[in-house]
Amino acid sequence: MNNVQSSANTLIVEKMSKSYGSGADEHRVLEDLSLRVEPGEFVTIVGPSGAGKTTLLRCLSGLVAPTSGVVRYGEVPVSGPLAEIAVVFQDYRASLMPWMTVRDNVAFPLQGRKIAKRARNDAADEALDSVNLPGVGDKYPWQLSGGMQQRVAIARGLAYSAPVLLMDEPFGSVDAQARFELEDLALDLRSRLGISVVVVTHDIDEAVYLGDRVVVLGGRPARVIDTIEVDLGRDRDQIATRAKPRFAELRTQVMTEIRETSISSR
Amino acid sequence: MNAYQKVRAGLAMLWLPIAVLAAAWVATAAADSFYFPTPPVILEALIDGFRQDHLWDDLVFSVRNIGVAVLLGSAAAVCVGLIIGESRALTHATAPFLTFARATPMVAFIPIFIITFGIGAAPKIIVIAIGVFWPVLLNTITGIRGIHPAVRETAVSFRIPKLLYLRRIVLPGAAPQIFAGLRIAIAVALVLMVVSEIYGSSVGLGNYILESGARFQVAATWAGTVVIGALGYGLSSALILLERRVLGWHQERPRKNSRPKRRGSPAVSGVFASRRG
Repeated sequence: MNNVQSSANTLIVEKMSKSYGSGADEHRVLEDLSLRVEPGEFVTIVGPSGAGKTTLLRCLSGLVAPTSGVVRYGEVPVSGPLAEIAVVFQDYRASLMPWMTVRDNVAFPLQGRKIAKRARNDAADEALDSVNLPGVGDKYPWQLSGGMQQRVAIARGLAYSAPVLLMDEPFGSVDAQARFELEDLALDLRSRLGISVVVVTHDIDEAVYLGDRVVVLGGRPARVIDTIEVDLGRDRDQIATRAKPRFAELRTQVMTEIRETSISSR
Repeated sequence: MNAYQKVRAGLAMLWLPIAVLAAAWVATAAADSFYFPTPPVILEALIDGFRQDHLWDDLVFSVRNIGVAVLLGSAAAVCVGLIIGESRALTHATAPFLTFARATPMVAFIPIFIITFGIGAAPKIIVIAIGVFWPVLLNTITGIRGIHPAVRETAVSFRIPKLLYLRRIVLPGAAPQIFAGLRIAIAVALVLMVVSEIYGSSVGLGNYILESGARFQVAATWAGTVVIGALGYGLSSALILLERRVLGWHQERPRKNSRPKRRGSPAVSGVFASRRG
């Protein structure tokens, strides 16, 4: 699909803050955040519940505008949803349309781009193959298990063929086995398609396991506490990687940082 | 389902109507009352009505009016509902007016409409269409407001153009509520159809029962009433068939937050929401 190398395709956040409400009711959620997602990079954003992770992802996807600071994709400001950024939402039950077949769900965003029906369906089937769901195109989403539905949502993001895939707690509501499979699927898609992936999660192990870099959020309002380069190599394995001493060190580091911040901000 | 099960299922649904018909037959035969003719006498009047009297023309007139009016009224209601329901401000601004409009029975407007527009088919179609309009409009708005915010957000994030969004997301998302509105609308439409033909009309099923009643042709009046009942049943059945086609996904989908089975009205929902088709 998209094999992007140039830095024009870097997702950049500079000194971004986000508040809800105004005046005395102003509630600051995010403060002075800066981060970069290079092409082909897998970045995880981890933080405790209520730290504004979803708000950050909504800013990255252009669904809400930051109060101050800049989000841009290369030189293009993200002032609304971009064709280069696809989103996989947390709640797959609500984000997949129950009145559309799986294939129609995956192909639907392409209809907005005025792509011919044949080509849309081919792209949808190809995307479904990529997420290891061949042959379910004619079913309805609610006939599939939770893990399979989330694969469909990922396939929809892939069919959109955006170079950046944003995922909001994507594996939170599936069972443990499906979760491991989906994590490896996300890693595999990054390697095969060369896309950048951003995953927001509250799960520290998951953040370390998936990320080339882990962005640790914490405090109220949330700031970037630390950005950790994960030196575990690109090939990860659910058993071997998680058993490495370095993996344990990294997760301890993230956990300590999060705990210290939450104590100090109390 | 094998043949035996089909017969059983059919009997389970039909035994009550059959029992009621039999009871009416026995009661009317025993009573020998002028006002309550036996079923065979009504049937005879029905056949005579179609063969010799103008019952067929009346039926055609009524069916055409109610058909045109339901199509016009519901189409207009869905279009206006899409505009109002998609705007939070409009939904709030129109809510008090809509509640008032729905609460006022359209039957009360029939004399005004007849004074204004005369006694042809047009005023009847207008009255029925307006009666249909309110429940469908209100349900369309409710249906649209009830669409999960994540659905909207998904459409925005994938840059779905507005018209495509309305057609493939909002309309199907609100469809279960719209159909609920249509069911109410059909009941309202039947009442308005009959009353609009009783008050100032020389044709139509309403006029048929009025005229035959005035001439004390009791069996003919009963026959007309039976035709009106059959028309209502036919319209409801047509709507259920349409609903099954359009809302197959909604009826087959397992209920995620299913309520305990005892709540609701199984007598109604059981028949209408039958999942066998």
